[in-house]
Amino acid sequence: MVPHFGVEPQQIQIRTGCCDSMSKFLQMVNIQKNYGGVKALKGVDFSIDQAEIHCLIGENGSGKSTLIKIISGDVQPDGGEIQIEGRHYPRLRQIDSLNLGIRVIYQDFALFPNLTVAENIAYSQLVEKGDRLVNWQEIHEIAKAATEKIQINLDLHELVGNLSVANQQMVAICRALTKDVRLLILDEPTSALSKVEIDQQFKVVFDLQSKGISIMFVSHKLNEVLQIAHKVSILRDGEMIATLPREEVDNDKLIQLMSGRKITYTRYKGPETTNGKLLEVKGLTKKNNFADVSFSLGRGEILGITGLLGSGRTELALALYGIAPADRGSVVIDGKPVTIHSVQDAVRAGIGYVPEDRLTQGLVMKKSVRENVVPIVIDQLRNKLGLLDNGEWRQTVDHWIDELGIKVAHRDVEVRTLSGGNQQKVVLSKWLASKPKILILDNPTAGVDVAAKSSIYEVVRNMAEQGVGVILISDEIPEVVNNCNRILIMRNGRLVEHLETQDVTEEEVQNLVEMTGTQQQQISGELR
Amino acid sequence: MMKKLTKQTEFYLALLIIALSIFITLNNPRFLTTENIFGLLRSFSVMGIMSVGVLFVLILGGSPDVSFTAIAQVVQYIVVILTLNYGGNIFLAFLVACALGVLMGLLNGFLVHKFKVPTIIITIATSNIYFGLLYVFSKGEVIFVIHPMFREFGQLAIGSWVGQHGTPYGLSLLAIIWLLTLVAGWFILRRTQIGRNIYAIGGNEIAAERVGINVFKTRMFVFGVIGFLSGVAAIVHAAIVQSAIPNIIVGQEMNVIAAVFLGGAGVFGGKGTIIGTFLGILLLAIVSNGLTLLGISTYWYNVLIGAVIVVSITISAIQQIRQEKTRVRVQVEGEVTA
Amino acid sequence: MKKRVPNLSLYILLIAVVVLMTVLNPVRFPTRRNFFSMAYQLPFLAFLSMGQMVPMLAGGINLAIIATTNLTGIVTAMLLSWLSGGSSWDASLFITLVAMAGGVLAALAVGALNGFLIGHLRIPDMLATLGTMTLVEGINIVLTRGYTLTGFPDFLIAIGNDAWGDIPIPFIIFVVLTILLGVLLNKTSFGYSVYMIGSNYTASKFSAIDTRKVIIKAYMLSSVFAAVTSFIMMGQMNSVKANYAESYLLVSILACILGAIDPMGGSGRLSGLVVSVLILQVVSTGVNLLRMDPFFVRAMWGFIVIVVIAMNHYGQHVKFPLGFHRWKRAEQSVDQ
Repeated sequence: MVPHFGVEPQQIQIRTGCCDSMSKFLQMVNIQKNYGGVKALKGVDFSIDQAEIHCLIGENGSGKSTLIKIISGDVQPDGGEIQIEGRHYPRLRQIDSLNLGIRVIYQDFALFPNLTVAENIAYSQLVEKGDRLVNWQEIHEIAKAATEKIQINLDLHELVGNLSVANQQMVAICRALTKDVRLLILDEPTSALSKVEIDQQFKVVFDLQSKGISIMFVSHKLNEVLQIAHKVSILRDGEMIATLPREEVDNDKLIQLMSGRKITYTRYKGPETTNGKLLEVKGLTKKNNFADVSFSLGRGEILGITGLLGSGRTELALALYGIAPADRGSVVIDGKPVTIHSVQDAVRAGIGYVPEDRLTQGLVMKKSVRENVVPIVIDQLRNKLGLLDNGEWRQTVDHWIDELGIKVAHRDVEVRTLSGGNQQKVVLSKWLASKPKILILDNPTAGVDVAAKSSIYEVVRNMAEQGVGVILISDEIPEVVNNCNRILIMRNGRLVEHLETQDVTEEEVQNLVEMTGTQQQQISGELR
Repeated sequence: MMKKLTKQTEFYLALLIIALSIFITLNNPRFLTTENIFGLLRSFSVMGIMSVGVLFVLILGGSPDVSFTAIAQVVQYIVVILTLNYGGNIFLAFLVACALGVLMGLLNGFLVHKFKVPTIIITIATSNIYFGLLYVFSKGEVIFVIHPMFREFGQLAIGSWVGQHGTPYGLSLLAIIWLLTLVAGWFILRRTQIGRNIYAIGGNEIAAERVGINVFKTRMFVFGVIGFLSGVAAIVHAAIVQSAIPNIIVGQEMNVIAAVFLGGAGVFGGKGTIIGTFLGILLLAIVSNGLTLLGISTYWYNVLIGAVIVVSITISAIQQIRQEKTRVRVQVEGEVTA
Repeated sequence: MKKRVPNLSLYILLIAVVVLMTVLNPVRFPTRRNFFSMAYQLPFLAFLSMGQMVPMLAGGINLAIIATTNLTGIVTAMLLSWLSGGSSWDASLFITLVAMAGGVLAALAVGALNGFLIGHLRIPDMLATLGTMTLVEGINIVLTRGYTLTGFPDFLIAIGNDAWGDIPIPFIIFVVLTILLGVLLNKTSFGYSVYMIGSNYTASKFSAIDTRKVIIKAYMLSSVFAAVTSFIMMGQMNSVKANYAESYLLVSILACILGAIDPMGGSGRLSGLVVSVLILQVVSTGVNLLRMDPFFVRAMWGFIVIVVIAMNHYGQHVKFPLGFHRWKRAEQSVDQ
């Protein structure tokens, strides 16, 4: 029932790859960096060739961002050598890095939402020039030249805040291109993009690479890494585990290298019979979100919903949970029709929701574990006077810390200090405490390490065994295939596939999702 | 183009002002006379000048400065006493006033930057300090007789016409100072790099640092500007009132801030225009003037302004909620998008 | 876990100002009479600050608090006059209570409006209450036509001036309300929700906390404190006016900042606020006893706040990251 993890020792030969003849743009040897007592980088070797697409992968806290910051000159290493285009830089400052043509596109893009596309693109160049007066014509010329470089069509007068995430990223790339770029570093560039947008982005990346620009692509999405990389470097716990050419890696190998262990799933079987429907959704529709969604869920069943970003899967969950209620359709729980207009309605009906964004939606980061476990059940913690009973509160919280094995020194510790996996367990305990009939989980293992993943699956399976109906939304295909009884695939706001997991393999599901992706592409291509 | 226009606060504010003007004119034609308009511009010049400084601060960060009235109050009192004792001319008065204003503004800016505290918090504290010390040293005494140059300056005007009751009038220099402030403010915000930097910091301060903007310098500039304009407003106020009353300007800060918010500035920073700010003050002026001309008690002034603010923020909030509801999150297959 | 005393620096500061004032004024400061008079004055500032504190904990601000205070007084005074046929100073206890209830209702209406604008329409707190402040100020002026209303019945006068044995009535009310507010904030789900919403509105909403209801309640509670302030003020001054105590709007915020109430919401203790108000009162009384200008007190208050902010800053307690408004905005964008 529980996924099994076998740890296998790894023996990897470090190879410098195929392109020794080509000149190195950047070479770093034995780079070390400590923060306080914590060793963020423990003697890392790393190099990038000219006109190479080099992917850097690693779990949270493996030292990826520290490495980026050292290359951009934001942070000085405590030891090691940096060589760029053959020249040694004992101290690489921000200004040196910029002058050498190194540009970082951060995850948040560093844009000004209140300014136009043109001004956003031209800004760094204007600041660098240091003119006191602003020449609007010049701004437009700079912007136009940059957008033409990557052949992208943006309305230069539009405010950046009104653009889609994908186009905002293009603005950030355009800004980087206003100067001579030699190395473009993209930090988690695809995390909020849909399939179509990622394809467009890849086109731009290949285009830039063909112009001789080196690309460093930092990501945790392995299928994208495999699609784009010439070379892949894997960081783990501040150490460079390996640098391998694309031909020598595949998905499983990368996971193994990243986590240091091999992940083997056992499939979830679920109840023998799902007699008695717990939840029945019929014709659920919300304009501009999803349309005509019907499905049912049994007690003890784990139902997977997958689909590309922008397929409407999260929107469906938000409607069922009352955050953004549906316009039409019926929801029946335990044979009784329920109307869900608010979160309170949903919770009363027995629906719980673990949101995708733990940082802003799942937890109140500044508050303690004690406070984050109880919001749903707070009214049950009152004594005879109707006042909160601290003793019972503490007991409840300690019970869940114990039950889920949340690693925390004390219940009064702020949740923001916990690891991703332990934070997610706090979110789960919040719902476990409320004993929901139905629990919807939206990408519950995003940003947690492999060990925590398995214990989250364990919690979810245990819940299902106790009769809770679980809806597991995820874009990780192995996750849904191995943990669910059935899988629904969404595309363009509609349910398009309904699969029994025992009949399918991961590859088949992946193909179905990818296929709908290409279809989607064709459709949107025709629309243009 | 029209669509872009109707999205802007300024557009609705202008419509409201036009509608009000028509209504008032229909009931009292005196409203739309140059004499009345010029008078209006003169008497609202103090608020108008200060509003430009407030706009700068709100663009920078959305958290308002509440100490500018205290600064103007202190500056005015000091300059009035200095000129009484040592004479001097109006240029010198302006120079001293602006220098003092800039100093106090810079102190605010420095504290805000150094301690990383919202502007409103620091300026509540400093306004208490500035104003409290003024009262300690002035003992709250009103100076009824001030140097005659202030009166003379206040009477300077461009053009000379004869008004309805035979009194001569022109476009007061004080009103022109306000208009010049608006032009200068527009120029800085729209045409200079530091002006764009103010918007950039207001939009995303971390990004501003990343593209190489000197945030400290820009912040000090903004607080220098509001200090400078408080100095200008102090002299203009003295020229209108022709006395120095140590608690007459303090207490106006919320009205000015409200006008700038009405004009489209946001509480999150990065937003706001000179035109909007001008229209915001103009609305206050017209409501106040209209009440007098229509023979309605001026007691209704605050009720009307308050109602305008509450109604306008409510409308824009409802618009935003509606917009959010109709936003396309997913291109639903087979759905007709309007 | 190491236990540390919360707001330790505030307690030290309180002791310091008490010692300082005693040293500066050994004859008149540490006297029974002086403490008695402080106990009369303290509740006024305390109630206003508590009324400011509750919305601030929920991540907001109430700029309309003084306007609400004056509205309560004016409505109460006008009802008194109307119900008693013009001789409000002779009004019976029943009429007095009815009039006061009317005043409280008016205050609650303002609180509900604030809460609706902020909780339901998600209008930024500062804008919403700036609007209602102007509106209510206007209503106050229209109702009074700028006049001072005066002459109140014994009951109201007693609320502001009498003593129960050696303890002034306002101080007794202060103690009772402090305990009640403490219980409300620390021992009820309402209090819990206020802190949660103040820390992270979106996550609270996703955690099934009824944000709308809690925010409305928070602003109505703020109004209740405004109303109580108003009754104390009526009793002590025997008059009401449209623009009384306007300068105390900023002072109420200042007291919260000094009391380590996070202006971004979500953290701060009632005990901190009470100590803060005590500090402000001791400074005020001490300076007055030195026969210095009462406005010097204002300067001192402002100065103390700057000093405390500086101390917090250098004590590695950077409480307000400059980008806080953007952080708030990011939160709002995922709302709905």
